[in-house]
Amino acid sequence: MKQLPQLNLGDFNIGSLNIGSLKRPYVALMMDVIGRGLEAASQVDSTIQREVQKLPDGFMFDMRALPSGPSLVMEKTADGNLSYIGSEAPRKPDMSLKFKHLNHAFLVVSFQEGTARALANDRILLDGEVAHAMKLVRCLNRMESLILPKFVAVRALKRYPQLSLKQKLSDGGKIYSRLAKNLVWG
Amino acid sequence: MTKSYYEFFCPVKIVAGNAALEHIPHELLTLAASRPMIITDKGVRGAGLIDHVLGAFAESGMDVVEIYDDVPPDSSTTVVTQIAKLYRDSGCDSIIAVGGGSVIDTSKGVNILVSEDGDDLTAFSGVGVLTKPLKPFFVVPTTAGTGSEVTLVAVIADPEQGVKLPFTSYFLLPNAAVLDPRMTLTLPAHITAMTAMDAMTHAVEAFTGMGKNPISDAYAVSAIKKISENLMQVLNTPDDADARLELAQASTMAGIAFSNSMVGLVHSLGHSLGALCHLPHGLCMNLFLPYVLEYNLAERGDVIGELLLPLAGAEVYARTPPAERGRAAINTLREIRDELYRRCKLPRSLSETGKVSRDQIQKLAEMALDDGSIIFNPVEVDLDDAISVLEKAW
Repeated sequence: MKQLPQLNLGDFNIGSLNIGSLKRPYVALMMDVIGRGLEAASQVDSTIQREVQKLPDGFMFDMRALPSGPSLVMEKTADGNLSYIGSEAPRKPDMSLKFKHLNHAFLVVSFQEGTARALANDRILLDGEVAHAMKLVRCLNRMESLILPKFVAVRALKRYPQLSLKQKLSDGGKIYSRLAKNLVWG
Repeated sequence: MTKSYYEFFCPVKIVAGNAALEHIPHELLTLAASRPMIITDKGVRGAGLIDHVLGAFAESGMDVVEIYDDVPPDSSTTVVTQIAKLYRDSGCDSIIAVGGGSVIDTSKGVNILVSEDGDDLTAFSGVGVLTKPLKPFFVVPTTAGTGSEVTLVAVIADPEQGVKLPFTSYFLLPNAAVLDPRMTLTLPAHITAMTAMDAMTHAVEAFTGMGKNPISDAYAVSAIKKISENLMQVLNTPDDADARLELAQASTMAGIAFSNSMVGLVHSLGHSLGALCHLPHGLCMNLFLPYVLEYNLAERGDVIGELLLPLAGAEVYARTPPAERGRAAINTLREIRDELYRRCKLPRSLSETGKVSRDQIQKLAEMALDDGSIIFNPVEVDLDDAISVLEKAW
C-alpha cells in the first residue's frame, strides 16, 4: 500500500533534495559566514577566547572541501583573536580540515551533521596537530551554540551546553551584529 | 546507534597459529623479497624470542641479513635514520618488526625512509603524504595488546623540534601480522594482564564509540569474548600456548576494530596520564575503563549492555533484565580488574598507582580535552566532566 508522505519538519532532510547546483554557492557562503562568525566570536565570547589563547600566535588553519574548495582560512593574530583571511591561504596552513567531497561539507555547514559525527563518519581528513584541531572544534561548537537556535544546534552538537538567556542574547547578539557589519563592510 | 555511513579497511594478512613464524620465508618470497632485516629491542632479544624467528629461517633457503636490536621504549627520528642507513648498507629488501608498540612504530618509520629513499623523516609526517606502496613489511607482536600490527599510524618523536610526529597512511599497514604463541609464552603476568586490558579497552571503546560500525563490532565482540575467556586461564597456566594464541588473536582483532572505529574517553584520559605520570598505556586503560563506561552509561546503556554477552556469557546475559545489562557489564569489568589487582597488583585507581598526586587532576583533564580520541566519545566531555571522571577514578 502506498504510504502518504508526511510533513515532519524535525526530520526534514535538505540533503535529499535535488539542489546539486546550489550546494557549491551555499557551502561557499556558509564558509564565509563561519569564518566571519568565528572571528566575531573570538572577540566576544570568553570561552572561545580561552581556547584561542592556547593556540600559537600566527597559527593558521583552513577548512576546505576537496578537491578545489570552497574553503575558509583563519589565523590567530598577535592580539589573541582569530582573523578571517578569506578563501585562499597565503602559505601552507598549520592545520587543515579537509572534507572529502563538497556534499560532506554541505552536510556540516547546513548543520545536518556535526563536526564530531563527520569525523566519525570518515568524511573529514585532519592534517596537523590534533590538539589544536580539538580546540578549534570546541570553538566551532561554542559558536554554533551561541548563534544558532537550539533546535538547529542540537542536530550538530553532541550536547547542547547550559546557556543562560542572557548569554544567548548578549553574546549571540554581539556576534550577529559584528558578523552583519563584516558582511556589509567587508 | 546506527551510523548512516562507515568505512572499514584492513588489508593485513593474518598469519596465526602454531609454527606461524615458519611461514615468514614463504610469505616474503610471494612479495619478491629475500633479504629481510629484523628490527627489535634488547628486551625481546634478551628473552630469546629472536631465536624463534631465526630458527624459522633454517632450511628455508633464506637468511636474515641484518638485526637491529636497540630500539628504545620511546623511539625517535634519530633511531629511525640510523636503522635506515643500516638497512641500505646491508642491502636488505624487507623488514620484520619483532616487538611491541615502539618497535613497530620505529619499523614503520624505517620503511618510509628506505622505500622513499629519504633521510628526513619529518618530510613524510602527516596524513596521506605517502603515495606509493612501501617495502615488504611483516610484524611479529611480542605482546598481546597494542594492535599496532594492524594500524595505519605511527608516532615517532623528533628530538630536534621536541615534538611527536604523527604519520598516517594506508601504506604503513604491514603486509602481514604473524601471531605465533611462542612469542608471548614468556610474557610476565603483570604485562600479560596490562596488555590484555589494553586490547579489552580497544574493543570496548570501538564497540561503544561514535565510530562503531557493523564490521568493527564483529571484531570487537569476538575480541572481548576471547579476552574474557582466556585471560585468567593464561594467568593460571602461563605456558598454555592455545590460550596465549587466543589473547594474541584478540589483540589483533581489537586492533582491527579500533583502527576502523577509533577510541574514546578512556584513551583521552589514558594518553594524558601516561604522558604526565609516565605510566604504562595498558595500566592506564585498565584504570579508567569502568569509570568512563559509567560516565557514558546514561546515554549508551543499551550498547554497553550488549557487552555483557561476550564479557559474562550467555547464561548471565539471559538472566539479566535488558535495562540492567549495561550496569552488569561494567560490574563484570570491575570484577576482572579486582582479580587482576589481587594477582598482579594492577592498579584500579589513580591513588593505587602511587605515582599521581591529586593536584595533577586539573592538568590531566586539560590534556585529555586536547586528545584526538575525545571527539569520538559518544557523550560530550567538557573540563568539568573530565575532572569529575578523574575524581571518581581517584
